[in-house]
Amino acid sequence: MPQNLEQEVKELIAGVIGREPEELKLETNFWKDLGVDSIKAIEITVAIERKFKVSVRDEEIPKITTVGQAVAVIKGALEKKAK
Amino acid sequence: MSSSTRIAITGLGPLSSMGIGKDNLWKNINSGKANVKKEEAFIDGELWDSFFLHKVEGFNVHKFGIDEDRLSDIKDWKEGEEITDLNYLLAAVKLALDDAKLDYSKRDNGLGLVLAHENIGLMPFGLKVSNLAYNALIGKSKDQLSKKDFFNSLYKSFLKSGYDIQSFADLYHVAKVFNIHNYSLFLNNACASGLYAYEAAAEIIKSGQAKAVVVAASDNPEIYKYLWFRDLGIYSKSGKVRPFCKDSDGLVFGDGGAGVVLEDLASAKKRKAPIYAEYIGGGFDLEGWKITVPQIGNDSYQRAINKAFKNSKTKKTDIDLLVPHGVGSQPIDYYEAQAITDTFGNNPKKPLISVFKPFVGHNLGSSALLESLIMLLSLKNDTVLPALNYENPDPKFNIGLNKEKKQVRLKTAMKICCAFAGFNAAAVFRKVN
Repeated sequence: MPQNLEQEVKELIAGVIGREPEELKLETNFWKDLGVDSIKAIEITVAIERKFKVSVRDEEIPKITTVGQAVAVIKGALEKKAK
Repeated sequence: MSSSTRIAITGLGPLSSMGIGKDNLWKNINSGKANVKKEEAFIDGELWDSFFLHKVEGFNVHKFGIDEDRLSDIKDWKEGEEITDLNYLLAAVKLALDDAKLDYSKRDNGLGLVLAHENIGLMPFGLKVSNLAYNALIGKSKDQLSKKDFFNSLYKSFLKSGYDIQSFADLYHVAKVFNIHNYSLFLNNACASGLYAYEAAAEIIKSGQAKAVVVAASDNPEIYKYLWFRDLGIYSKSGKVRPFCKDSDGLVFGDGGAGVVLEDLASAKKRKAPIYAEYIGGGFDLEGWKITVPQIGNDSYQRAINKAFKNSKTKKTDIDLLVPHGVGSQPIDYYEAQAITDTFGNNPKKPLISVFKPFVGHNLGSSALLESLIMLLSLKNDTVLPALNYENPDPKFNIGLNKEKKQVRLKTAMKICCAFAGFNAAAVFRKVN
């Protein structure tokens, strides 16, 4: 598990949506608060999969609406991979 | 036959909310109005749920002149049930063969068959299982019904229905009705099935396995299918398919199907068959990322389109009319618009772009075949149909759909489709002089 997973996820998402990582708190809903739509959500998923070498399930994509949820999905996928 | 064999389209058989048969469809679609209604599903007389649907009206499989003995045999196999998906396939094949003026009465009729469907048999099977499992279990504890007895009762009740799920049985039924004994194939490439079917049919003819191939696909939407798409968040609540618009809110199912006859061009000319166009080649690419979501930024769709150019020996400037998948879901529309603009440039003046789902709905595994059929009628009539519901175009897509009905000389048309599971496809058709 990466040491600074939360920070890495913030930087990754900020890069995809064109914001600064500092703007993203763990609970920031980037759909409601930062105007992320279903198109950007897919781009975020693609970036997550590439960076962390994990596979996100189809039905989890719309659930990734906060940094916290993204971190949870990545943690779950990494743990599943490690088994 | 050889790879130089040219493939003509000689028969069209549509079934849709806009009409049964090509003449009705073309007349109604030119009226510029769709036919969308609320479909209601009931359980024990109580309303379960409802959804918007482009529904086929007035369909009766017994009105198509299909051999009644064969229809009776099929009903016997289906244990007294009439399966609408299969009846649509039968009617579509009959309409297409009649339109092509092909005689199929003799065993040596030279016909092949390609059928496509995304989920044939699944809806009746799922509802049957749900109903009988409920009846078997209701009021019983685990002690009263052993797992073995429960499994045994399901096995006995569903074995035949189980075989009919996306299997050989419906291919057998349709082939038998139309006396088809040459190469036959059942395929499923989700929404792109129709375009894969053109390519398969063309190859069957070029290899000499059949002189003509009838391709048919269908979809009769049921409540379970709606529930799945609703839960995926891509079913329209407004009941209007609005591709490439700011206010698009998803797809609406389209009921029906389509049949198309492909034939060796030389044979078709010799027997003075009606020739709608020539199928000059297709391109196919499997993205392979997710089942229900396209990978924004991936160039798989562009690859399919470019393969189609290569295989049909055409270039982008040859395409007069382009018909995209146009489902009215933001990410899918965006993915598709990227492929279009990467290929033809931003806001291209040529080709003209037309979409048909606002008229006939999303016919799922049959959608590409039904929409290509409408495109072939456009090609034949030198008519570009207006995009219905195109009231709030979204500039982020960088494409513009045709807004007004246009009479223009059309020579070459391309149908493209980006399907679930990443089955990306493009097919090119050219008018025959």
